[in-house]
Amino acid sequence: MPLAPAAPHETNTHCPYCALQCAMTLTRNEVTGAPGEEPVTVSGLFFPTNRGGLCKKGWTSASLLNSPHRVVEPLIRDEDGKLCPVSWDEALDLIADRLIDCRRQHGADAVGVFGGGGLTNEKAYQLGKFARIALGTSRIDYNGRFCMSSAAAAANRAFGLDRGLPFPVADLDEAGTILVLGSNMADTMPPILSHLEGARKAGGLIVVDPRESSTAKLTADGAGIHLQPMPGTDLALLLGLTHIVIKERLYDAGYIAERTSGFGELRRSVSEWWPERTQAVTGVPSGQLREVARRLASGNGTYILTGRGVEQHVNGTDTATAAINLALVLGLPGSESGGYGTMTGQGNGQGGREHGQKCDQLPGYRKITDPDARRHVAAVWGVDEEAIPGAGLPAVQLLASLGQPDGVRALLVHGANVVVSAPNASEVRAALARLDLLVVCDFFLSETAELADVILPVTQWAEEEGTMTNLEGRVIRRRRSISPPAGARSELWIMAELAARLDAPGTYDIEASAVFDELARASEGSIADYSGLSYELLDAGRPAYWPYPAGSRGTPRLFSDRFGTEDGLARVVPVHVHADAAQLPAGDELVLITGRLLEHYQSGSQTRRVPELNEAQPVLRAQLHPATAADRGIVDGDTIELRNARGTVVAIAQTTRGIRRDTVFLPFHFPGVQSANVLVSDATDPISFMPEFKNSVVTIHALTTALNPDR
Amino acid sequence: MTAVTALRVVVIGYGPVGARFADALLPSVRAGHVALTVVGAETADAYNRVLVAEYAVGNTEWDDMVLHSGDDVRSAGARVELGMRVVRIDRVASAVELADGELIEYDRLVIATGARANVPTLDGVQRMSRDALALERSDTRLIGTDDDLPRGITVLRDLDDARRVGDAARNGRKIVVLGAGVLGLELALLAARAGAETCVVHHGPVPMPRNLDIGGGTVLAASLRRAGVAVVGQSRAEAVVFRTDDDGERRFDALGTADGKHIHGDLLVLSCGVGARSELATASGLKTAAGIVVTPDLRSWTDPKIYAIGDCAHVAVNYAADADTRIPGGPSGLIGPGWRQAEWLAARFASIGAGGEHDTDPLVERPAVVMLKGEDVDIVAVGDVCVEPWDVEHEDDRSARAVSQWADPEHGRYVKMITRDGVLEGFVSVGMPRTSAELTLLFERGGELPADRSLLLRFDGPDYSPEANADAFAPDATVCWCNGVSVAQIQSAAAEGNDTVACIGKATRAGTGCGGCKGRIAELLERFTDADGVAV
Repeated sequence: MPLAPAAPHETNTHCPYCALQCAMTLTRNEVTGAPGEEPVTVSGLFFPTNRGGLCKKGWTSASLLNSPHRVVEPLIRDEDGKLCPVSWDEALDLIADRLIDCRRQHGADAVGVFGGGGLTNEKAYQLGKFARIALGTSRIDYNGRFCMSSAAAAANRAFGLDRGLPFPVADLDEAGTILVLGSNMADTMPPILSHLEGARKAGGLIVVDPRESSTAKLTADGAGIHLQPMPGTDLALLLGLTHIVIKERLYDAGYIAERTSGFGELRRSVSEWWPERTQAVTGVPSGQLREVARRLASGNGTYILTGRGVEQHVNGTDTATAAINLALVLGLPGSESGGYGTMTGQGNGQGGREHGQKCDQLPGYRKITDPDARRHVAAVWGVDEEAIPGAGLPAVQLLASLGQPDGVRALLVHGANVVVSAPNASEVRAALARLDLLVVCDFFLSETAELADVILPVTQWAEEEGTMTNLEGRVIRRRRSISPPAGARSELWIMAELAARLDAPGTYDIEASAVFDELARASEGSIADYSGLSYELLDAGRPAYWPYPAGSRGTPRLFSDRFGTEDGLARVVPVHVHADAAQLPAGDELVLITGRLLEHYQSGSQTRRVPELNEAQPVLRAQLHPATAADRGIVDGDTIELRNARGTVVAIAQTTRGIRRDTVFLPFHFPGVQSANVLVSDATDPISFMPEFKNSVVTIHALTTALNPDR
Repeated sequence: MTAVTALRVVVIGYGPVGARFADALLPSVRAGHVALTVVGAETADAYNRVLVAEYAVGNTEWDDMVLHSGDDVRSAGARVELGMRVVRIDRVASAVELADGELIEYDRLVIATGARANVPTLDGVQRMSRDALALERSDTRLIGTDDDLPRGITVLRDLDDARRVGDAARNGRKIVVLGAGVLGLELALLAARAGAETCVVHHGPVPMPRNLDIGGGTVLAASLRRAGVAVVGQSRAEAVVFRTDDDGERRFDALGTADGKHIHGDLLVLSCGVGARSELATASGLKTAAGIVVTPDLRSWTDPKIYAIGDCAHVAVNYAADADTRIPGGPSGLIGPGWRQAEWLAARFASIGAGGEHDTDPLVERPAVVMLKGEDVDIVAVGDVCVEPWDVEHEDDRSARAVSQWADPEHGRYVKMITRDGVLEGFVSVGMPRTSAELTLLFERGGELPADRSLLLRFDGPDYSPEANADAFAPDATVCWCNGVSVAQIQSAAAEGNDTVACIGKATRAGTGCGGCKGRIAELLERFTDADGVAV
């Protein structure tokens, strides 16, 4: 349904935060120039995803536009280590000189680029192009590696294609059963909850989470079932459910025969996961497993959705694969009333993984090692194929290489705050300190920007044009409502300026619509084909789900006839539990799991600067069971220390019955001594290179000195 | 690189453990580091014996039982001989002899022949001895074979057994199960569910006497009866009575017990435990006790080229035992430890095959948690659970053992936890599924129990639903999740005169996200507004 055209002082756009990309209207206010004044007023706008609703983060998003914390001129670190304002020319000249120098001395791969899943499609595309042909480096990856990489790898190998939800969100309305594994959407993207109402009314919302999350609470009072497995045992849980589905003949034999390959091997691989064995490993009673398996197979529309809780593990790809396998034996993907999907997290987490920010990809989800893909993209870029480097390093490995021999010595960071968001955060801080040059583009002095040699102030969402691709693969328009502060620039402009100073081949448009048109050409004929799209078409309100080849009307629902594999069949890939996958707690150790709060977004760099949000969640709170606390002499409100070999974190104890006794939960939005990711291992999945965020082992004890949130 | 001669590995047995071993070794086979030969007596692909009772009563299809396919092993380049017995090990020549006379040489031999069901001493049923003397006299006839049982009597171990049991269960016959171990009880419950009249006969005071105390066993017996299984306890079976049917066949008719009962039935299933299939080792002069005796790294005490894994292996630290000393321990009879042994040994051979070292420590198995499979009875137990809360331990330097207990026989619930320093040494849990699951995890991981043990009893209570909001109208209860708005905030907004859901939304943003809480906001507004329409 097209959006109603906005009045002259109104702009229809989408929220700056998560992948649901709620539609909102920005109404320009009369401004007097007072500090902290909000230049626009946010109101909800009807769109099929959010139906006019917004969450607390969206409602308060305008307070950041004139935030007193905003960086509004380029900053350079002087010899004393102080950040000093400089002109744009000075900053860009300095960066260009240092980059040229670094490349000459250490080779092109000594320059690295770290991107983000919050960047518009245009910026993400341009960043990949800039890295490959202006910098000539293979060393580019992005923070989406910490989000979507496991589910993406699993979907690619099963379906030959990765679009988070291969169906519109509104399809969930008709579902009788929705299985949510490791996603806390009630806190992370609350307006989506209206789409769970149908399943709740039917008693079919099933939430798998070691914690009684806000989403798990929605299963209460007959609305569904909450399974609370031991952290790190999701794979076994899924294999156990698949075992029951197969053993009780609840599977869709016709679908399996016509639309999949590999079922025989799957059948053998789950034979060993009978319910009682699954219970012994997961802690979920066999009766509950049977109940859930039967419910999933009861017809009436069943959807299986995964989130970071099951994906952010060293076996994350296999776990997502197991969820897909379960969906396939039930005959769901591509059916009229059911499917599998993964809940994309970051605002442009979908588009951000399609247009060339990943170390092994070119625009359109093309493989950088595929000669045809290289030829096509090189032609669009106007360069020789040989000018495009090969595959680089995934995020964790890229960060570990900083300042090492043969590693990256100069790093450009766009839309990421790795000091807070990357695993083993203390190591990341140390790695950044080893660099010869760190350049950060941000609108705030994030914890990563604080370490930079050069900080370039950029525009916020309400100040720029662009497109985002939401969690359902729908391309939507971000529109400019107000002018940016005088000193802030678009990253498209920054890349064009740097490219000119580097004598780079190719062209670097600064108009978002022109970059989008180029992106559309670069993606033509690819998996994520945008070639039929333009700003004109998007502004006319046409729902634009990719693939959208020229001459088509897009693809709201994928897989109805065939999958994206060569033979059109979905691959059932058998996966196994490996004994050494999860580190087990012993004695008084606890499992640490991490996640997000309603009030904060990702590293908190933005939301901690929104007064209303920060007042609600000003400090790191550790959720633990009252019995776990009592046995350690801890009471609610105590300051506690969480510790393991990687470091220590200080938090306020928050006791709740809604968490397993052996588990403690920390949100990861806070910096410094409150940074949960200090405790998190940088071990990665062998396929997706996703870090193990959701399963660390810690001990905890009470501190006598109280936590000072300002530390 | 110099060419490496492939390590020649022969595996005897293609059951769940032998097949897992072969599968785990396939990468080395493909890499040319290992030349693998698998010899299995059964003709079928390796199947999950744990599911054989379910298969018998028709709950599980054959394809759902298969764990590994011999064709996969073959296509990796290994040799697979199924339906073939090994009748002799020539330890001097390092070769095994197949029933057809072929000799296959090995550098490493792995015996994974598993176990066979015990046949108890019963008048009317012949038992074959497989000690060294009997084996010597019998040529190779007794090696790798099972004894024939009279018509109407069976064990439940392989697919032929399953067919016999299945015929009886499906045709509504009366099944008598002798023995009240886990396997016997699982079969009895499944057969009862399938419609067969089922009776379990055992000689102990309670079922599962090896695993349960009197309390747990008594509650279990009651649960079995509720599930339709007759239980005859404290009755030692002595004899089998036969009848001759119209077709002239002599068949099982009744089981006679020492206390004079005659328990009639159409099929007698012997479920009296299993014994290692170690006769090949015995005949080859390898040390055997409860199984083939191997060191913790699974190597025969007698011959360093020979290994044993799974149900035929008796793991014990090597010491100079004389022939009469009983070697402690024995095979667990469970699949989990067997699979772990298979994977560990395959990893070792893979390293050796690749010319490297394998220095991972041998496995240390905790006592195995025993669970009854099925939907009718929930029971989990591990360790020595026969101590009572009031028992005093012999004084020694160990820290104190503690026992906590909950018994509610009327409702079929019973829990006993035995701890030392707060960590479980054993437990039994009947009729409390979530408690069972949590205790299992705590035991497996050596986790500390909460000081208040009663916490562990409440999971299965009707009040235990942390999701259910205890008081939906408490001031700090959240109403709007999207915007984090509490009852108190709505109350104060209402007090300020916001008397519609829309006004509340404007004032607090409650209801302006997904909209799911609008009904509750209306309800709250009614509550906060007195009969005269005045906010209170």
